[in-house]
Amino acid sequence: MSSTTGVGRTRARPGAFGFLTDTTLCIGCKACEVACKQWNQLPMDDFGFTGMSYDNTGDLGATTWRHVAFIERIADREGRRPARLQPFQSNWLMLSDVCKHCVNAGCMEACPTGAIIRTEFDTVVIQQDICNGCGYCVPACPFGVPALSPLDGKAHKCTLCYDRLRDGLEPACSKACPTDAIQFGPVHALLDRAKARVAELRAQGVEAHLYGDEALGGTGGIGGLNAFFILTAPPEVYNLPAKPELPQRRVLPGFLTSALAALVLGIATVLAFRREKEGHRA
Amino acid sequence: MPGLGARLGRGGATTTLASLADSDCIVIMGSNMAENHPVGFRFVVKARQRGARVIHVDPRFSRTSALADLHVPIRPGSDLVFLGALVNYVLNSERWNQDSFFREYVLHYTNASVIVSPEFRDTEELAGVFSGYDPEQRRYDPTSWRYAGEARPLEGERWPCRPRIEPERDPTLQHPNCAFQVVKRHFARYTPELVEAVCGVPRELFREVAETILANSGRDRTTAFCYAVAWTQHTIGTQIISCCALLQLLLGNIGRPGGGILALRGHATIQGSTDIPTLFDLLPGYLKMPRAVPEHATLADYFATERPATGLWYDMPKFMISLLKAWYGDAATPENDYGYAFLPKIGGDYSFQSILTMMKDGVIKGLFVMGMNPAVGGQNARLARQALANLDWLVVRDVHEIETASFWYDAPEVRNGEVRPQDIKTEVFFLPAAIAAEKDGTFTNTHRLVQWHDKAVEPPGDARSEAHFVYHLGRRLKELYAEDESPAGQQIRALTWDYPTVGPHGEPDLMAVAREISGYRFADGRPVAGFHELADDGSTACGCWIYAGMVTPEGEHLAKRRRGDDRASLDWGFAWPANRRILYNRASADPQGRPWSERKKWIWWDPEQGRWVGYDVPDFPATKPPDYSPPPDARGLAAHPGTAPFVMMLDGLGWLFVPVGLLDGPLPTHYEPWETPVENLLYPAQPRSPVAPVFVRPDNPYHEIGDPRYPCVITTYRLTEHHTAGGMSRWVPWLAELQPAGFVEISPELARELGIANGDWVVVETARGSAEARALVTERVQPLTVAGRTVHVIGMPWHFGFGGLATGGIANELATLVEDPNSLIHEAKSFTCRIRKGRLREGERE
Amino acid sequence: MPELRTWRHRRAPGEPVSAETRESYYGLPVIHGPHWRWPIVFYFVLGGLAGGSAVLAAAARLVGGDWARPIVRVGRYLAFLAMLPGPLLLIVDLGRPERFHHMLRVVKFRSPMSLGVWGLIGFTATAFLSLLRQAATDGLLGRANVVARLARRLPDRILAGASLVPAFFLAGYTGVLLGATAVPLWARNALRLGPLFLCSALSSAAAALSLLLGSRAETARARHAVERVERLALVGEIALLEAVRLGSGPVIGRPLAEGLAGGAFAGARASAMGALALHLLAAVSPRWLGRALRLVASLLALGGAFLLRSSIVFGGHRSAEDPDATFEFTRASR
Ligand SMILES: Nc1nc2c(c(=O)[nH]1)N[C@H]1C(S)=C(S)[C@@H](COP(=O)(O)OP(=O)(O)OC[C@H]3O[C@@H](n4cnc5c(=O)[nH]c(N)nc54)[C@H](O)[C@@H]3O)O[C@H]1N2
Ligand SMILES: Nc1nc2c(c(=O)[nH]1)N[C@H]1C(S)=C(S)[C@@H](COP(=O)(O)OP(=O)(O)OC[C@H]3O[C@@H](n4cnc5c(=O)[nH]c(N)nc54)[C@H](O)[C@@H]3O)O[C@H]1N2
Ligand code: SF4
Ligand code: SF4
Ligand code: SF4
Ligand code: SF4
Ligand code: SF4
Ligand SMILES: [Mo]
Repeated sequence: MSSTTGVGRTRARPGAFGFLTDTTLCIGCKACEVACKQWNQLPMDDFGFTGMSYDNTGDLGATTWRHVAFIERIADREGRRPARLQPFQSNWLMLSDVCKHCVNAGCMEACPTGAIIRTEFDTVVIQQDICNGCGYCVPACPFGVPALSPLDGKAHKCTLCYDRLRDGLEPACSKACPTDAIQFGPVHALLDRAKARVAELRAQGVEAHLYGDEALGGTGGIGGLNAFFILTAPPEVYNLPAKPELPQRRVLPGFLTSALAALVLGIATVLAFRREKEGHRA
Repeated sequence: MPGLGARLGRGGATTTLASLADSDCIVIMGSNMAENHPVGFRFVVKARQRGARVIHVDPRFSRTSALADLHVPIRPGSDLVFLGALVNYVLNSERWNQDSFFREYVLHYTNASVIVSPEFRDTEELAGVFSGYDPEQRRYDPTSWRYAGEARPLEGERWPCRPRIEPERDPTLQHPNCAFQVVKRHFARYTPELVEAVCGVPRELFREVAETILANSGRDRTTAFCYAVAWTQHTIGTQIISCCALLQLLLGNIGRPGGGILALRGHATIQGSTDIPTLFDLLPGYLKMPRAVPEHATLADYFATERPATGLWYDMPKFMISLLKAWYGDAATPENDYGYAFLPKIGGDYSFQSILTMMKDGVIKGLFVMGMNPAVGGQNARLARQALANLDWLVVRDVHEIETASFWYDAPEVRNGEVRPQDIKTEVFFLPAAIAAEKDGTFTNTHRLVQWHDKAVEPPGDARSEAHFVYHLGRRLKELYAEDESPAGQQIRALTWDYPTVGPHGEPDLMAVAREISGYRFADGRPVAGFHELADDGSTACGCWIYAGMVTPEGEHLAKRRRGDDRASLDWGFAWPANRRILYNRASADPQGRPWSERKKWIWWDPEQGRWVGYDVPDFPATKPPDYSPPPDARGLAAHPGTAPFVMMLDGLGWLFVPVGLLDGPLPTHYEPWETPVENLLYPAQPRSPVAPVFVRPDNPYHEIGDPRYPCVITTYRLTEHHTAGGMSRWVPWLAELQPAGFVEISPELARELGIANGDWVVVETARGSAEARALVTERVQPLTVAGRTVHVIGMPWHFGFGGLATGGIANELATLVEDPNSLIHEAKSFTCRIRKGRLREGERE
Repeated sequence: MPELRTWRHRRAPGEPVSAETRESYYGLPVIHGPHWRWPIVFYFVLGGLAGGSAVLAAAARLVGGDWARPIVRVGRYLAFLAMLPGPLLLIVDLGRPERFHHMLRVVKFRSPMSLGVWGLIGFTATAFLSLLRQAATDGLLGRANVVARLARRLPDRILAGASLVPAFFLAGYTGVLLGATAVPLWARNALRLGPLFLCSALSSAAAALSLLLGSRAETARARHAVERVERLALVGEIALLEAVRLGSGPVIGRPLAEGLAGGAFAGARASAMGALALHLLAAVSPRWLGRALRLVASLLALGGAFLLRSSIVFGGHRSAEDPDATFEFTRASR
């Protein structure tokens, strides 16, 4: 990772709330995952033993809004295991993944019903009474967050505990996190904290970087993530896209090339018809 | 936890979780702290953020290792060699010998200078046993372990006590038989090379650990140790822990912020259930349960044997009589020894493993199981189930229909037709229990902190609290025995059982219970302010002396307090004893009473005020000056000098050499686990603990040492996602999905050898039984080189059973009954097994 | 408990956990693919057909002479009929079909789906009016009644002009809709899918019209005209198919080269090329053979449109499941 990735910029508006998920402090206890399910009364998934380290729930989905990933990187390619470790999680990475509450949210822009809104906390929430299950938000999210539930046909994802925020409570997941690996607060303050933490980690020789600021996760029109992460390995390792892009950036260009094509095809049609008019080939 | 008790005076953690944040180095060994104590681990993370070094010594790379600087894979059951080698390394290190701090601490605060009886012989001399060993009885007679010196009986005592001991000392620590030299000789063979050979830890790695600990101990720095059941669940578990205490004493890390030993306790209030014990051999507050022996025939006899002349235990009569007063009230009079005769006297070993065999053998006919799942958690699970099946009646109170309640129709042997339900005569009563959030009450956490919890929701249906069940059971028993004049009837009738009840279901008033535990003046019921107010004349009553003062004279329940701060958080809950947070904290100041350093200041002597002051409640008589020197006939605490931090000990000192209190020797010595693939390199003639209680019976076979049929070492442990035998997690969908099935962790090396692929079904087998599971092939487990050959270690979480949503083979089908002689804890952390690819019954599908 | 989520992962059994997780997370998808399946494929095909037909009808009305009347007539009927199942298919595909009308709460210019709904409504309106007009002209509404009279009053040329915009929109917006997702295959081809779908719409509509116009002599000129359009559109389609194939690259383009979607894609290419080749062949063949060849060519073009939509939709599924594709796409993007 180049040093420019630690910068930390966002286009989030002042007063935005979000998460700093610091993977270097995460112990993979999954308290966040369970707290989220409990608070939101989400059902259990019908999973079995996956053999994927300690991860048996796989990914984010309609019924899993926080998901803890486990990445074992114990031995080198020759199978040698180190004794001396990087301080802070480096050989068994754990990441508590969640909706990023993008500053410009692909899911929200895609939604044809306006079910997805940006709240007064600058979070992105699906209004369950509006969503009609068209499913367009699902592939429109660059991070694979929302999903349609087979139980009610609607799209679901983290609400950043909108109901709790309204009541002045901290989100359930960050509240449950025993090590403060998930920190909730105003995005700009969190970003400052994250920058300081990245600097601190680097001083200790840890290859840490910020994921989700404008320079990294926020390129391509997303403008920053309100839920961002401190990582110690390339994003791909955590199943995060390196430089995600706002899909809607492609709408206008797409329509433009289509319009151009339409023009060309229109002219071609007209020409084809005109030749006929001139009485070509009886 | 006798391992700490024998050397420091109290069995509990010497420090608090929060104090870990002040550590400079934290050694987590014998515990998977991040996974099993995640909330406490918060403070390790905090320390880490401040730059502390974290070392994790564990056979597996776990979620704890993930946040450590150093992960040291160690062969299960070899920890004592590692710790012994640390002792040896420290004693011979330049730093330890040159920094005056260490010598000053050890000289003043430990028994390093006392001279040990010339009759004492070390294991090094007797090829693996200490002097006094009786091979027939497999017991020690500890008389030869005594101090050299004289014992003087005390005159003019209201209640009898043991004589006062005046040992010989050599403050130069040169005398060949002074405790210091005895210790040094004992560990001389525990070298880095031995560590490499026995533990499978490369010597350089060991040295790095030793250097890190040394560099982070001293006047200005402190190192803490955290352990849990991976130290206790060995036949030498107590000695492993006691070796750690010895090391920490030598390093001057006890009683100081960021130092100490954190015994990480198990269930949310397991500390509470040893303080006010569910153990068969203790009374509340660590008073010994009287035994059916002449030495305990009367109260005076009991005191004559158990009451020391010096130290805080000298006040034993105050605690004991107040307890009897609390239990028997008006029926406890000076004339009847305060009802001492009503107390049942124990006649044997009623520890859990023993009663299992007694049940199986038909000696015990009925069993209450409240908050336990022995069909899964008990060693030798098949034997455990056979034991349950041989009862007349069984009462299970739980929140789910756990295996212990369903074994008669759902156990593997019933499912496969080996046993028919109609042949099981046990009548099983399953009663629904209210879980913590459904009732008020307290938890005593791992560092002795009592915290109140409020009921959050009503328990469903007929579920009731334990307090409700036990109270009304007692009440009905009293009604039943109202006319009964037999001794049993008298015992029951004598009990005060008059708690007021509240609410529609008649729950006993827990505030009344708390007041009784905390103690009160018998005449007017006014709560006592602390145990110093307890009296030995029947004028006070107290259900558990160490909790005295938990309810203030004003009636405030201190466990309800929630005011934290950045230091000791004295206004958060109530920590026994007397709200002290760091125990033995007199040692945080130098012998003259000054803080050892500004950075590690905690309590100190203020000459102006003439008392100990600081951040914590002093664990020391508040006004005893540092230069206090006891008069020759002083007794109790007055017999300790102003420099003696360990108030519970006879001499106020931490014991490097333990003359009394341990059944397997005054010094920690390495014996191999009962089942081991290798010889004992230290004592080939004495491979296993000479005094470990064994259960030699056909239904509990043991593997021979190095049995080629069982070449692998297996260790059992927990996962964050589940709780112990699973009653609270395997039935909960949100937890079950996180770890839905039983598995074993095996190294890729072993997997390759056996042709096992990740996710395959495997069967693990021992002479006791077999369990099937899925294979989790992971580099987090690795083969170790022990005594020149490769030893494969496999790991198996033991949470799973046949009930609930997340199911799996029961790991304890494999384990065996054999225990530590002091604590009577089983050896579940290291035994031998074999593993093969396949299913228990071939042809079975997914 | 119903099976809520399943996933495919590419774990080779027996591999130690860490060896395979260095570059991706157990081969699990990074993003979530769409749930769109057959209804959407049919919607895309029919939408293309409807849009294309409407374009042809409108163009014929605007620049064609009397000879083009059949195009106008058949085109308008076809446009309307092909459009009819569209809303149904869309509604069937909703998780909560009874809430279809929630689509009408908002207009969002950055959401092709929202625009699509409004476009579809616009199209429906113009297609319906064109249908009415045509029916009136054809005397299908009777003579004297109010409807017929009103319908005949509709300004035919203006209507034709106005219908062009929604027709083109309907034919092409679905490509833009796919491009505006995180699905690597679609996203990578975001600029090409719209034009591709447009070409395919026009070629398939032209093919359908030429089939429907039949071999009667009085429609021969009309048929020649639409066949000319078909050929032109096929040229564009072939060029864009190649652009998609090459532009996707080996990783992102994997679904177009492998499996069922790959087969469909190959089929779409072969159909387009075959159709074009047959048309060219027909030009130099004897009349009886030429007619047969043109028939086959048109059928091929129609089938190709179906294969094309299937390959793109289902290729998108594969693509979304492939973490390498997502990584490839997001590493490159800026
Ligand atoms: N989530 C969760 N938390 C719990 C519990 C639970 O079930 N679930 N149980 C509670 C209870 S009752 C208890 S007692 C505590 C227990 O807490 P711990 O003692 O931490 O529990 P274990 O997981 O049994 O064992 C810990 C570690 O010891 C390692 N180990 C095994 N043998 C040896 C050995 O010989 N030497 C060394 N150094 N390490 C060894 C194992 O690999 C394992 O990682 O946890 C409590 N906390
Ligand atoms: N192989 C192996 N065996 C082990 C261990 C090991 O490390 N390895 N560890 C040992 C240790 S340390 C322990 S502590 C034991 C634990 O083993 P057990 O004590 O046998 O098992 P638990 O599952 O903790 O049992 C507690 C039960 O209490 C129920 N419960 C919870 N709250 C209440 C309540 O308020 N009232 C009532 N009545 N019930 C309640 C729960 O549902 C649960 O079923 O296992 C031991 N066994
Ligand atoms: S991460 Fe996905 S679901 Fe969450 S706000 Fe961004 S685009 Fe929407
Ligand atoms: S599924 Fe619901 S939330 Fe998602 S885009 Fe469609 S209407 Fe909006
Ligand atoms: S903020 Fe709330 S909804 Fe979102 S992951 Fe956390 S607990 Fe779940
Ligand atoms: S609760 Fe915190 S420490 Fe636990 S898995 Fe979630 S983020 Fe990690
Ligand atoms: S005692 Fe309760 S809060 Fe503490 S770590 Fe265990 S489960 Fe978590
Ligand atoms: Mo425990």
